[in-house]
Amino acid sequence: MLKKFHPFYLLSRSAIYIILTAGLVFTLLPFVYVFLASFKTNAELLRVPPTFIPEKPIIENYTTVLSDSQISLTRIFYNSGMVAIVRTLLTLLISSFAGYIFARYRFTGKNLFFGMILAQLMIPFQVVMIPIYLLTVKMGLIDTLWALIIPMLIDAYGIFVAKQFVEGLPGEVMEAARIDGASEFGIYWRIVLPQLGPALASLGIFTFMASWNDYLWPLIIITSPEKRTIPLLLVWYSTQHGANQGLVLAASILTLIPIFVVYFLAQRWIVEQSTQSAFK
Amino acid sequence: MKRLSLALLIVFSLVLAGCSPNTTPTESAAKQPAATESVASPAATGGEKIVIRVWGHQNNSFNQAHQDIINKFMEENPNVEIKFETFPWDVFIQTIQTSLPAGQVADIIEMPGGMGLRYAKGGQLLEVPAEVMTLDRARETYFEAPLGGYVYDGKLYGLPIEFNLEYGGAYVNEEMFKAAGLPYPPQWKGWDEVIADAKKLTKFDSSNAMEVAGLHYTNNDQLYTYFLSGILEQGGQYFAEDGKHFNFNTPQALAVVQKMVDMAQKDKVVDPVTYNAESNWVGTSFAQKLTAIAVLGSWFTGEARITYPDLKFDYVKLPPFMGDQYKFTSVSGWGVVVTKYTQHPEIAWKLAAAMAADPENALHFNLTTGTIPAMKQVANDSRLSEKYPFMKDLVTILPYGVFQGDIVDPSQLEFDIIYPNLIQAIQGIITPEQAVQNIHEEANAMVDNAK
Amino acid sequence: MNALFTRALLEWIGTHEGGRLTASQRRFAFWGLVPILIWVFVFVLFPIFWVILLSLFSYTPIREGGWFLGLGGNNPFVGLGNYVELFTGSTKAARIFRQAIGNTFLFSLLAVPLSVGTALPVAIALESVHERVKSSFRLIYFLPVITGSVAVTIIWQYVYAPNWGLLSQLMKTIGLTPPRSWLSDPTQVYFGIPLAMLAVTIVYVWVTFGYNTLLFIAALQGVPAVFREAARIDGANSWQEFWHIVIPLLRRTILLASVLTVISTLQQFVLFQLLTRGGPAYQTQTILLSVYQNAFVYSENMGMAAAMSIFLFIILFVLTIIQFRLLRTEWEY
Repeated sequence: MLKKFHPFYLLSRSAIYIILTAGLVFTLLPFVYVFLASFKTNAELLRVPPTFIPEKPIIENYTTVLSDSQISLTRIFYNSGMVAIVRTLLTLLISSFAGYIFARYRFTGKNLFFGMILAQLMIPFQVVMIPIYLLTVKMGLIDTLWALIIPMLIDAYGIFVAKQFVEGLPGEVMEAARIDGASEFGIYWRIVLPQLGPALASLGIFTFMASWNDYLWPLIIITSPEKRTIPLLLVWYSTQHGANQGLVLAASILTLIPIFVVYFLAQRWIVEQSTQSAFK
Repeated sequence: MKRLSLALLIVFSLVLAGCSPNTTPTESAAKQPAATESVASPAATGGEKIVIRVWGHQNNSFNQAHQDIINKFMEENPNVEIKFETFPWDVFIQTIQTSLPAGQVADIIEMPGGMGLRYAKGGQLLEVPAEVMTLDRARETYFEAPLGGYVYDGKLYGLPIEFNLEYGGAYVNEEMFKAAGLPYPPQWKGWDEVIADAKKLTKFDSSNAMEVAGLHYTNNDQLYTYFLSGILEQGGQYFAEDGKHFNFNTPQALAVVQKMVDMAQKDKVVDPVTYNAESNWVGTSFAQKLTAIAVLGSWFTGEARITYPDLKFDYVKLPPFMGDQYKFTSVSGWGVVVTKYTQHPEIAWKLAAAMAADPENALHFNLTTGTIPAMKQVANDSRLSEKYPFMKDLVTILPYGVFQGDIVDPSQLEFDIIYPNLIQAIQGIITPEQAVQNIHEEANAMVDNAK
Repeated sequence: MNALFTRALLEWIGTHEGGRLTASQRRFAFWGLVPILIWVFVFVLFPIFWVILLSLFSYTPIREGGWFLGLGGNNPFVGLGNYVELFTGSTKAARIFRQAIGNTFLFSLLAVPLSVGTALPVAIALESVHERVKSSFRLIYFLPVITGSVAVTIIWQYVYAPNWGLLSQLMKTIGLTPPRSWLSDPTQVYFGIPLAMLAVTIVYVWVTFGYNTLLFIAALQGVPAVFREAARIDGANSWQEFWHIVIPLLRRTILLASVLTVISTLQQFVLFQLLTRGGPAYQTQTILLSVYQNAFVYSENMGMAAAMSIFLFIILFVLTIIQFRLLRTEWEY
């Protein structure tokens, strides 16, 4: 192994910390400002010039959002979470399964099929959004949560990564299992899948975040209030309470809390995995 | 390995089974009866409640008024459950557009004025049944301008709930008038006087940035309405001979634009960069006391009384914009339509009639929202002018209103063609001549493109 | 017929790594792949064919069309009419679209140097500090990446609010005069860059900053120390070394980050839709906004929106090919 490069001597200690602090302020200031503002009264929010720290902090904005009968935050979280989890799990299963078949079975037309799947990488969703909308309508899926899952189920990139990964696994173990009478699916399920963990983790994180934060496609497909996802709810809520911005800020922060908590718990893992994928 | 292929087949068919709209993950997992399920099942009988979905746009006073009428209806019809769902304005326009042709749509839609025609033409709406309202009866019941947006090919496709009037009135702030030493309430004889007052009310800060706009007239609905109305006031026309194309290349159109530009550039009663449809919206900036005279429809009264209970204001009549004769266009007015996909047309029409054809409910709606009645009978009801003294004045100009006409895509004409060009002219980015020329070309290209 | 087809396919699927496939193995591979291929056909290949077809018709779903995908009939075939209109026509949609092409590229051009220029120095600084400090900074820099774009726009509306917003207020505190408006003033154009576009780009950089930083950290960690030693022996000082050895080694990462940024800017929707809605005076109108508006907001233009999608497709296609090239050569020093 080569020693890692350290640009340690490039910058002076103070220059390093000036850069890092500047980055920190840039990143955090908008969050902090809005977080503090969510504890202001409406009158204080409208004041010119504005205050930075609330004069008389109140928590009514939060309690009002949480007790608002017009919206059910649990329902909305359930929708977003359910869609993201189902979509992520299915994508991971399908990607690893297809990756395994493409890596371990030789058959006529394999390259053709693989090419068909890879074509998806060339065709971003936004480009085929119109026909997929028309298709969703024809299938009767419009205004269902399945419409947020099914058209996104298969990820060519994921299949590609899984295939590369399975090709790197030693074949002997699989052969031995086969001789021991393991079924083909058993080999995939018990031998291949457990070893795909690291490759699937980054894919999973990306799929989950893409689903959780998607706005454009749900905007087109979802109409029923009880099927709204978090981004749709936030836009609805900010119109509903255009005159009471404190509520909008509180609602936004409430929707951020769960994802931030998960992030802080799993951060080392998330941060490492998510850049890996760019290189694979 | 039969078991395996079978298992895979089951998984796949489960995924496909998800294709039917009745099984979403939420519905199967959460044991609540979901809306679509009951709507989709044909004629729910027995103990099942019939579910009717109603869509509206987000507006506190509109929503409250509708909810009152809906609650009353549900009390009287215990077998019916009504789901009233609202959307932000632009999401609402898009949602109608994406769901109506798809057939996955509410039973009743509170339709923005003028947009109903498009869907009536497309065959997406049900004709009003004769027992609810005939066209002849509708002509007696409603004003011509709002009704115009629901009549296509001699048939009636919906019922108006308000008379869209973005013309002839403005909100004034008493405090600011008094502070500037101006008579209150203002009694303007002509727009010269309006502008003169506005100049005195406008305030700049030390860096010459506008602190208070004397006269906010640069909202999209206002520029659109005053542009079309201004042409008519001068005796001009905006439709071409064939009644489908437009003719905006007229001296009358140019005169209107010139006046709008001068008010901002010469009289400086508004900063069109910071006060327009996107920034410092007229209603909000009036409530925040950043605008002294706000040109806006009376419908904001209801909204303002709910949202800004401490705000003190009056709504006053404005003189004709371009001359001494009132003449104005209306995009018709909000109304209710029933989509052809409803499973329960009788109940849907019963509810639609309760919302728009029952004089007491119509009055309740106009009373709650401060909108101008579409129903002639309601317009002269004393209860209305008691709550809104300005109504007495405003109803006198209603006879001068005409429906804007059958326009291919009224929202495109307003938001994408007329407003952007006018605001750019007012901001001084393009000349008034260019603005008129652009509007002329773009509007006609829209007509040609739609064929 | 169906059975015959199935058997033909089963015959087709020949061997696995170990040798010839048994019948059960064939069946496994077959049933595993067929649903996936059907899906790819239904949701990828067929739609791209469909969107190309749509772009040749004057189409809107409101009108009843012919039997095949609702094309024909009231939705007439127009040949290349939509494309001709887009690039030479005078409809509002076409004019705005032509403006949107320029805006979209401007956005990419602004985003690339701003993203690289902020992320690279921070990555170098981060690589120079202790692991503990590094990981807590990294933790915070990554927060905007996981914040949903809608929440991002709500937050930044407070930063950009005219007069009383955070940014204007900060400028006033240090004695500067803030612009009248950050997002709605069409007259504020600096060196051909509208202020509103710059403002949206900064939000975009804010969101992606943490991600790009990590990309560069990973690349810096991959630079072998042997190069450093070589430079040292030649007597180069550290900055020379940095410019002549590290930067060339990072060139591919910088290029890759740039291409990834360009691809993601072309697909950006939420920031524009919720911060500026394409305004002021269409200065922030992008290709994707035009596609969305013409397909789903205005009624008569779905065919034209399809033609716009094809244009977007061609650009993205070229960029994706470049990205693949770069990825293939990544890490080959």
